[in-house]
Amino acid sequence: MTAALATTAVDGARRAGRFGALAVSVLRRLLTMAVTLLVTSFVVFSSLYLAPGDPVSFLVRGRSPSPQEIAAIREQYGFNDPFPERYWHWLQGVLQGDLGRSYLFHQSVDQVLWSRLPASMLLVGTAALMIAVVGVGAGIVGALRRGTRTDTAVLLMVTVGAAVPSFVAAIMLRSVLGVRLGWFPTIGNGTGLLDRMHHVVLPAIALSVTFMALVTRVTRSAMLDELRREHVEVALSRGMSKSSVVRRHVLRNALGPIVTVSGLLVSGMLVSTAIVETAFGMSGVGSLLVQAVNEMDFQVVQAIVLLVVAAFVVVNTLVDLVYPLIDPRVAAAAGSAR
Amino acid sequence: MPAACPSPVRRPDRRSARRPVRRTLTAAVAAAAALALTTLSACSGTAHPKAGTADAAYRLTAKTPAAAGPVNSFTWSLFAEPTSIDYAYSFDYPPNQILANVCESLLRWNPDLTTSPGLATSYTHPTPTSWVYQIRSGVRFHDGTTLTADDVVASLRRNLDPEVASNWAYPFRNVKSIDRTGPSQVTVSLKSPDSTFNKYLAASPGTVESAATLKKDGKDYGNPAKGVNCTGPFSFGSWTSGQSLVLKRFDGYWDAKLKAKAGEVKFVFLSDPTTRVNAFQTGEVDGGWMVPPHAYAQLKASQAGTLYFGRNTTVASEIVNNLKGPLGDARVRQALLMAIDRKGIVKAGAGGVADVADSLVSSNTWSGTPDSTVKGLLKALPSYPYDPVKAKALAARAGVTGQKVVIASSPLDSQTTIITQAVAQAAKAIGLNPQIDTISADKYTALFTDAAARKGIDLFLTFWYTSITDPLDMYGSLQTGAFSNYGNWSNPQFDAAIDAATVAQDPAAVAAATGKAQQTAMEQLPWLPLYTEPVSVFLGKRITGVQPSIAYLYYPWAAEIGARG
Repeated sequence: MTAALATTAVDGARRAGRFGALAVSVLRRLLTMAVTLLVTSFVVFSSLYLAPGDPVSFLVRGRSPSPQEIAAIREQYGFNDPFPERYWHWLQGVLQGDLGRSYLFHQSVDQVLWSRLPASMLLVGTAALMIAVVGVGAGIVGALRRGTRTDTAVLLMVTVGAAVPSFVAAIMLRSVLGVRLGWFPTIGNGTGLLDRMHHVVLPAIALSVTFMALVTRVTRSAMLDELRREHVEVALSRGMSKSSVVRRHVLRNALGPIVTVSGLLVSGMLVSTAIVETAFGMSGVGSLLVQAVNEMDFQVVQAIVLLVVAAFVVVNTLVDLVYPLIDPRVAAAAGSAR
Repeated sequence: MPAACPSPVRRPDRRSARRPVRRTLTAAVAAAAALALTTLSACSGTAHPKAGTADAAYRLTAKTPAAAGPVNSFTWSLFAEPTSIDYAYSFDYPPNQILANVCESLLRWNPDLTTSPGLATSYTHPTPTSWVYQIRSGVRFHDGTTLTADDVVASLRRNLDPEVASNWAYPFRNVKSIDRTGPSQVTVSLKSPDSTFNKYLAASPGTVESAATLKKDGKDYGNPAKGVNCTGPFSFGSWTSGQSLVLKRFDGYWDAKLKAKAGEVKFVFLSDPTTRVNAFQTGEVDGGWMVPPHAYAQLKASQAGTLYFGRNTTVASEIVNNLKGPLGDARVRQALLMAIDRKGIVKAGAGGVADVADSLVSSNTWSGTPDSTVKGLLKALPSYPYDPVKAKALAARAGVTGQKVVIASSPLDSQTTIITQAVAQAAKAIGLNPQIDTISADKYTALFTDAAARKGIDLFLTFWYTSITDPLDMYGSLQTGAFSNYGNWSNPQFDAAIDAATVAQDPAAVAAATGKAQQTAMEQLPWLPLYTEPVSVFLGKRITGVQPSIAYLYYPWAAEIGARG
């Protein structure tokens, strides 16, 4: 898919110029995204609809309502409408920017989401930054110092990091750096930028530790692959400085797989935040999703799933778009294929 | 019928549980005073031998040292965020312990489990089917408007409105009408006599909100954006969804004795038990109700604050959900209870801070009934001391050897895991084939509201409290067809006793009929009672003054908290 889309982009560029190509490509991607979202929404909507359990039983919360009361509740929430009608109503609402109303939180879904999104974005953003800086950095260092003690240390870190689930990391970080040493707060989101950053450090490490290890491993092997290539050896034998070879040939070529993997990991992170959020008493979209699924709060689940799918599609679209820029071979290959 | 409330679920450590509390009431006005005198056996300073060991004991504290002065603010932990603070949807620990400080009911449920006047200065019971309330004058809502009988009528009526779908519709099931019958008088007419109705007005069902606010906020009433507008010692300040909810002292509060000592209370939502305990120790949180039992020892030894225990109406029970399987035979249920090492459970699962239960209600729930009566009732009950050999023989007579029983458990709190293991062991000991079905905490909560979630499960654990000081609150939920009668247990004698207790007017007759229902329940064991436990509360070293008691669900406990000297 990446290659095919890239082909189209390049193809467009030749005929209509760079700007036109970009426009066509972006348009195409937006369309793909819309279709993806639509299909996803339908799948999610129908799976919730088919899931066992009755939302009414959550709404009545333990009392035994009369049949009239149950009928009134069903009517009020539209549970009696046939499935296609419910889906259509919901879709119409979403198109007009109305995500519906959460019956669990007695609020509109966008209010519920907006109250949780900033914390999750900060958490995922910080974790992504750590993955990019630490994960990629360690991978590069390992590859350049292959076989040395530094490399062994990096490999050890990778092995340990990949084996530590985020909840274990959360417990360890919290009890050592939070409770014992008192360096970091153990609960809450914080207020104000600095305080928020202070609060988000430990959760972000806990969240990203496994992903960092993966990215380090991918980076290291991609770099090693490139370092072994003929043109790199030739360049080095011609006396070009190692740093410029690494920067211009090795790193640039290795970046493709690194970016692809990182993009997938980061966009997937939005849903893996629940455990970390719970451990640090933060409130974000991850824990909200778990709660909403369990309480059959259709509207909220629907909105979060769409959000995650959108994030996924957006991040991967960005990756696809920058791919030809960082790896000219893709563009070149696509161009000559025509 | 009845459903009483549902209740709950597990305890503290997680979201769960909803339980109602109740009080015993006597029929008329003067009764409240009489009640105050009949206290319960478990008072302040009573030492309870720690089950299983003779050495240690836990003590109940009626009141922690009085506050030395005001405090600007303190932070309190909740194990879950409320989904709303509309009193009609407040049926669980988190919303109720907040609202207890913000909204007031017609009557007040005190920490010693008595009731006294609240927003009603007095009430009368002129006929078996009517209750007349005199509304207090000079009370202001947080927005400055004055409380009127119309506010009371509008607030109570919401519990009858199917559109609202109040969680508290059950206590109102016998209500015919609620009307203003004088400038400051409200009359409730019942379809049939109901000895518990008035008692519920000391809990959430009796909450009074401004009629104008209810009308203005509509469906948004009680949500994070709108909050509530009541008459309590604290007013709603702000609610940062997912994070915290802040209450502010209300300077116009009517009751001088309960003016808030703290300028502000900040509730933070921490669902992970270890996270809460850590926050107590770092001082990030000043206190919280329902301390995880696994942390009792740690917190007792901590310099960060003090752990207290108070009076409770909670009983941990194993609910028999499937009467079509091997547990359908009462002998098997009796055998199972006899084979459960309940003393061992108290020791391992409740940190020793609990007592083996002799019935499905805590003795505190009978307060208001003369001690001698209660003792007589308890004495008549069958007891099930630990005796696996006898239990096995009993089960063998029922011919269920080798049959499978599924016990639900949830991994997220250690108590549930420990108890489930013990119950499985007991099932094995009497020749059954136990299978533990571990489900997520949220799904576990769903067992209490969703029949589909309970399918295929024979037994599950609950920590069930009553919302009033009256055993009828518990036993009523086991009547045929009651919502919380999860196993669909049905016993005509039991149903008749409950009906008799509900319509009886004389407290002695109510107690006798309730006692009869209790006798049947303990012989038939639709639920297996495990242990009773006290309420736990942790106070950090900055604050003091609270009265530890299950009444914290409806009594303005935070108003009494101030600075430690």
